[in-house]
Amino acid sequence: MKSRFIVTPILCTGCRTCELACSFTHAKDGKVGGSRIYPLDAGYKDLYVPVVCLQCEDPACVKSCLVDAIYFNENTGAYEINTEICVRCMACVAACPFGCSLFDAQQNLVIKCDLCGGDPVCAHFCPTKALTYKPIAI
Amino acid sequence: MVTVTINGKLVRAKEGEMLLAVLRREKIDIPALCHHEAVEPYGACRLCMVEITRKEWDGWKNMVTSCLYPVADGLIIQTHTTDLIELRKTILDLYLARCPNTPEIQDLAAQYGVNQTSYEQVAEPNDCILCGLCTRICDRMGFSAISAVNRGHGREIAPPLKEAPPDCVGCLACALNCPTNYIKYTDIGQTREIWGRKFELLRDSRTGQPTIPKEFAEYLSKYRNIPQDYFEQNDESHRKETALGLGKIAVWSREESQ
Repeated sequence: MKSRFIVTPILCTGCRTCELACSFTHAKDGKVGGSRIYPLDAGYKDLYVPVVCLQCEDPACVKSCLVDAIYFNENTGAYEINTEICVRCMACVAACPFGCSLFDAQQNLVIKCDLCGGDPVCAHFCPTKALTYKPIAI
Repeated sequence: MVTVTINGKLVRAKEGEMLLAVLRREKIDIPALCHHEAVEPYGACRLCMVEITRKEWDGWKNMVTSCLYPVADGLIIQTHTTDLIELRKTILDLYLARCPNTPEIQDLAAQYGVNQTSYEQVAEPNDCILCGLCTRICDRMGFSAISAVNRGHGREIAPPLKEAPPDCVGCLACALNCPTNYIKYTDIGQTREIWGRKFELLRDSRTGQPTIPKEFAEYLSKYRNIPQDYFEQNDESHRKETALGLGKIAVWSREESQ
């Protein structure tokens, strides 16, 4: 049974705890990392949508990467960027139609959600369970 | 799996892996300027030299560039012997004669105690160490817009005929990965200039912020099957639109369930 990262926008209160958790989880060399998740205003009263990588089936980021730095992790079901291979050409940042491939200017890296290696920290911190990571039957 | 000895410590490594990858994994500080994981190893900068020997070599040693040497069972590797440090000092000394005003080279040389070159400086110093990383990355990405031209003293990195390169798409991969920041580019407003060629950057349709060059977007949509309209917005606008779209679905499903 595989686990899936489930986002339920109706439950989101826009508290941005996930953003904070993400930044601190991906801190490196004493620098806080850029967040991979953005709880954004959805245009309705009291409705927020945590916009995060959807781990698409035929992703534009993988298609656009000219050096094959983005690969599928079989264990976690996430597409991850190998930052050693990445040449920072910004093709994936421009190509992702959901805007979930980002450039972190502080760390000088292209980043995207990697499901924290199979245990998303934002799901632990979400107070309203809008973000969950649980096994689902397929 | 093979077993090698690095500075007296037994280390396991995968067969076919290059020595430098194993040394980096073991957190041993080996300087290397021309190395990048995206491209094949090249052995241009010569700074990653290590000393190898085997039991059956009866004390004979060999100095090899670790980025180009595949691991093999029973190798005994030394990374910081007096000879090697002397060798790296000499190489950095020569680099300083060529690139006296390059901060990256100065820092690295200072780490090895070389503050000034003992050779005669070249008449017109520049920042390029001719490692070829930019041309290899450009080849790897499939553009091959720049290459090394001439030989010997006159060798330099340049586009064909030193004119504005027709195959360049302005992705900046060469400039951003240059170990000495030799390749200069300008990003002013809606135009980007690199290698003497001007590129027009696409604008985000909502905010008007520049994204990637038009040529790069055309290349990606032509050869990588990415719809051209994906490039009409930057990542921030894409996220906003995603939030609005998913918000509509959320409201609709909430109304349906009531």
